[in-house]
Amino acid sequence: MELVRYLLDLSGIGRDRVQLRWISAAEGQLFAKYVAEVTNITQELGPFDPKKFRLPLAAVEQTLNSTRIRWLLGLTKQITEQGNVYNEKLKDKDFKKLLQQATEEEYQKALIIEVLKQSPRSVREMAEKTGLPVYTVSLRLNELERCNQAGLKEYSGSTPIFMGM
Amino acid sequence: MKAGNIEMNKSFEPKILAFLCNWCAYAGADLAGVSRLQYPPAIRSIRVMCSGRVDPVYIIDGLKSGFDSVFVSG
Amino acid sequence: MESIEGDAGNFTVTVRERPRYVDMDKCIACGICAERCPRKVKDEYNQGLAKRKAIYVQYPQAVPLKYVIDADHCIYFKKKGRCRACEKYCPADAIDFTQKEKIHKIQVGSVVLSTGFKSFDPSGYDVFGYGSLPNVITSMEFERILSASGPFQGHLQRPSDDKPPQKIAWLQCVGSRDLHAGCHEYCSSVCCMYAIKEAVIAKEHAGGDLDTAIFFMDMRTPGKEFDKYYDRARDEVGVRFIRSRVHSIELAGHGSDDLRIIYMSEDGKLKKEIFNLVVLSTGLEISEDVRKLAQDLGIELDLHGFAKTSSFTPVATSRPGVFACGAFTGPKDIPQSVMEASAASSACAVLLADSRNTLTQEKTYPSEDPIIYEEPRIGVFVCHCGINIGGVVDVPAVRDYAETLPNVVYVADNMFTCSQDTQGLIRDAVKENRLNRVVVAACTPRTHEPLFQETIRDGGLNPYLFEFANIRDQDAWVHQKEPEKATEKAKDLVRMSVAKAALLEPIEPLLLGNRHEAMVVGGGAAGMIAALDLADQGLKTFIVEQKGKLGGNAKYVRKTWKGEDGRAFLADLIGRVQGHKQIEVLLDTKISHVSGFVGNFTTTVTTGSAEQELEHGIIILAVGAKPLKPDEYLYGQNERVMRWHELEELFEKEPERLEQAEAVAFIQCVGSREPERPYCSKFCCTSSLQQAIDFKTRKPDLNIYILYRDIRTYGQREELYRKARELGVIFIRYSLDKKPVVEETSVDGKDKLKITVKDHILGIPLELHVDYLNLATAIIARGEEELAKMLKVPLNEDGFFLEAHMKLRPVDFATDGIFVCGLAHYPKPLEESIVQAKAAAARAASVLIKESVEVEPTVSVVDQEKCIGCGLCEASCPFGAIHLVKVPGRGYRAENISALCKGCGICAAACPQKAIDMKHFRDRQIHAMIEAGGRR
Repeated sequence: MELVRYLLDLSGIGRDRVQLRWISAAEGQLFAKYVAEVTNITQELGPFDPKKFRLPLAAVEQTLNSTRIRWLLGLTKQITEQGNVYNEKLKDKDFKKLLQQATEEEYQKALIIEVLKQSPRSVREMAEKTGLPVYTVSLRLNELERCNQAGLKEYSGSTPIFMGM
Repeated sequence: MKAGNIEMNKSFEPKILAFLCNWCAYAGADLAGVSRLQYPPAIRSIRVMCSGRVDPVYIIDGLKSGFDSVFVSG
Repeated sequence: MESIEGDAGNFTVTVRERPRYVDMDKCIACGICAERCPRKVKDEYNQGLAKRKAIYVQYPQAVPLKYVIDADHCIYFKKKGRCRACEKYCPADAIDFTQKEKIHKIQVGSVVLSTGFKSFDPSGYDVFGYGSLPNVITSMEFERILSASGPFQGHLQRPSDDKPPQKIAWLQCVGSRDLHAGCHEYCSSVCCMYAIKEAVIAKEHAGGDLDTAIFFMDMRTPGKEFDKYYDRARDEVGVRFIRSRVHSIELAGHGSDDLRIIYMSEDGKLKKEIFNLVVLSTGLEISEDVRKLAQDLGIELDLHGFAKTSSFTPVATSRPGVFACGAFTGPKDIPQSVMEASAASSACAVLLADSRNTLTQEKTYPSEDPIIYEEPRIGVFVCHCGINIGGVVDVPAVRDYAETLPNVVYVADNMFTCSQDTQGLIRDAVKENRLNRVVVAACTPRTHEPLFQETIRDGGLNPYLFEFANIRDQDAWVHQKEPEKATEKAKDLVRMSVAKAALLEPIEPLLLGNRHEAMVVGGGAAGMIAALDLADQGLKTFIVEQKGKLGGNAKYVRKTWKGEDGRAFLADLIGRVQGHKQIEVLLDTKISHVSGFVGNFTTTVTTGSAEQELEHGIIILAVGAKPLKPDEYLYGQNERVMRWHELEELFEKEPERLEQAEAVAFIQCVGSREPERPYCSKFCCTSSLQQAIDFKTRKPDLNIYILYRDIRTYGQREELYRKARELGVIFIRYSLDKKPVVEETSVDGKDKLKITVKDHILGIPLELHVDYLNLATAIIARGEEELAKMLKVPLNEDGFFLEAHMKLRPVDFATDGIFVCGLAHYPKPLEESIVQAKAAAARAASVLIKESVEVEPTVSVVDQEKCIGCGLCEASCPFGAIHLVKVPGRGYRAENISALCKGCGICAAACPQKAIDMKHFRDRQIHAMIEAGGRR
């Protein structure tokens, strides 16, 4: 859940759109209180328009479905508690950092894929559409090319145009 | 609610998707009903057998489908 | 019932069946007969506040829902063959005036008498003005007024002018705790609680401005969670509680329908207050009919007409083989009645163990035709639940809306969708409209899903083709002031449920082999009684006890309040347990690990350093509780301050101490009914009174003071209170904000204790000098968090085990195969622990005697094509219910162990390949619900 909230921040949707609360079967009072609380938070945030966030939503979804993130999440315990065959373990703090970095990269790649789904584009155009710096787009695009998820389509003048695969 | 701003905010009726664990939150919600505790009519709940069932993708799904926020309670 | 002949195990019962004049097989309960019937009769069910016809159904939820002719009022029977309107108009040809009385002879092995109670009739008692003053009604009448199916459809109004009252008063103890002729000495146990409930609900119905006041002597709310309800009614809902004695009721003035209550307040002042409506909290009594029946059957009754029972065999009557439960043995509430019902069934099961299953037939269901599942054809049933839902949500609008949804081919709304006749309607609708999915919008699936699943199964559908929309507990009840929004929410919830329903699939049942051994945790009275009831049915039982001996808290019970010898009982009980071939007692033994599920538990226990595994089908938790060691009133600092049984033990060991004593005091509610522990420990009043009576009888000149907040000698225990007062025991009430102060002192060179307490009647502080002080301290939970966690069963806020349903399932948990009894559930006297232990045994036996158990088949499924055998699911599963198996040629693949699987779905969320899905909570089903819910 923490990861979803991180991604929602990353995408500009805002982490507060997801609220997590623990209650037991005996805590009716608390349930009512939490619903009021979550309702208030949502009222403060105002209505959510999915149309405005079509691109980030699609990219977040793709990130959450990506093999890399699902594996990392699934292996959390193994990495932080059990360690590998050399008994190497990651500290919770370091793992969190690693996970966030991976998430950010996957999210950026997902944005590029989504943008390329619309039409083939140049790096500069991709940077404009995704809001990412040109340098970041180049890096991620490079990774996508290596995984056969994007490729060079043609040149427009001297500008290379890329497409999704 | 005199201040215009607050009224604006309060007049917006949010729609919230809730995932409630059958054994905990869903039972708690039923108990709130039995005790007639009144709360805002914003949530639309989906009963799951455990909050662990809630795949992160469901949350994005909720936002895509037009909910203003998602509430997960276990 | 006319008579019972024969002996236990072989009775012949003669039953007289009166004619109904309606053919039960033909009647379809359409109600046309009653509509056409010209004869109006006072409706007894509505306490005479409404009329019914001479052909009628007693109440809307009656089972079976079939009409009956009241021959005492029917024109046909009164005027020799005239009228016949019902016969003429009945579309089913069900009227049969020729029916005659029938006598049945039934062969049975045992009989349970649960004849219930009659409400006390206050007419003829001037004080209350019932029958002579307008707007003085009984609590039963008020109950009908509040009811959605009552005379005013649940609208709060008073009888004289149909106006909504602004002020209502309840008078407690009407006919109870009253020594006047025709009234009863005993306390009726339930009236305090029902009066609070009526006051709270009345305020709810009236919506805020209603003033409610309860006039009472002692507030008796000793049951589980009852005091919290009382506190909430007083502090949050604003019900007024007036400790008083009512002197009389009179008309407020000439031409007025209002009433003036004249009462004596606690400080002895005469006061007056005017109310629009007065409700008499009438007590419970045994009717003349039941007394006569008992006489005919040879059942001994006590002074008040209740069946005579012993504290040790609380459901056995004086006649062997004939058992009793409910109010027939004494005034009591629903949870206690339900427990006694199960206890009586356990007593029967023990008696008739040899003939078990000799007369049973297996239920068969129509076969499921897979072809009908191809195209979804959904039926939606929306429930009014009286006014519970219908009073807030626009039910017809929801029904009409449901009709517009995709795949919906049939809709209906019902007054009570759970009633038996509606089950018939649903089955018929399934057949006639070829429905293959059913959605019910009503209360909550947690209580009613199984009922509807059974219904559609009877209609030929797989039970998993059912979906619930919770529009009561999570809608109508929590948005009472926003009917429009509640209706919108109901529509959304129905739309979501319909979306899921369209994607539902049939799921085959899962049958598992069943073990027949029981494990009882705790070797106190409750644990031993439960074990004996099971063992006597031939079921092998383990008793696991932490301590080195059996007995638990029962060893402190020298005498029961009825005067029976507690020690002799306990010695006999331990002897029977130790000598029983089917019982294995494990002392000094702790539970270290539990795995498995109903029918197949494996428990690791450690005795000293030795470890062993027990295999068993069920678990009964009878771990008991303990008395609080207080840190107030000089306990632990002065040896003259004791608690519970310490004082009587001292007097037993050193009788000269009692001889030399001049005064003793008891302080009640030490640590109970305080913010930290807001519950009543239930039997401390009885215990202190018993001791006081004992001391006073042995030494009449001893001064005894009982410092109390409310004396809670509920039921027939009230006799003790009367006796104690007659003997001269002095009762002084204190309040929580002015607790007594205890100091060490000496009088004439003798060590004494000085107690300072404010007397509420005199209004001044009193100083008492006593030799000994005994504290009735709270009964507290043992701190079983670890055990609860191991078994995955809940504890309440006070640390006692929390049962599945406070009233209807008082010994069960939501987790199948685990039961609770005795003090582990809540503080209670020995006889109630025994009842609950027998009830737990009955519930446990119902599982253990089966050859196999059916478990929820809503488990995870692995798509072997997508699975790559990574094992993340195995690592994530909290129940050990999924593991890797070797598949030839493919390496490892995940496989579900259905019996252990709780269907939580953590594995599905954890699977990186998305190869795992949950039956009945499939990915696409949840997606469909989300999508449907979000649409505006």
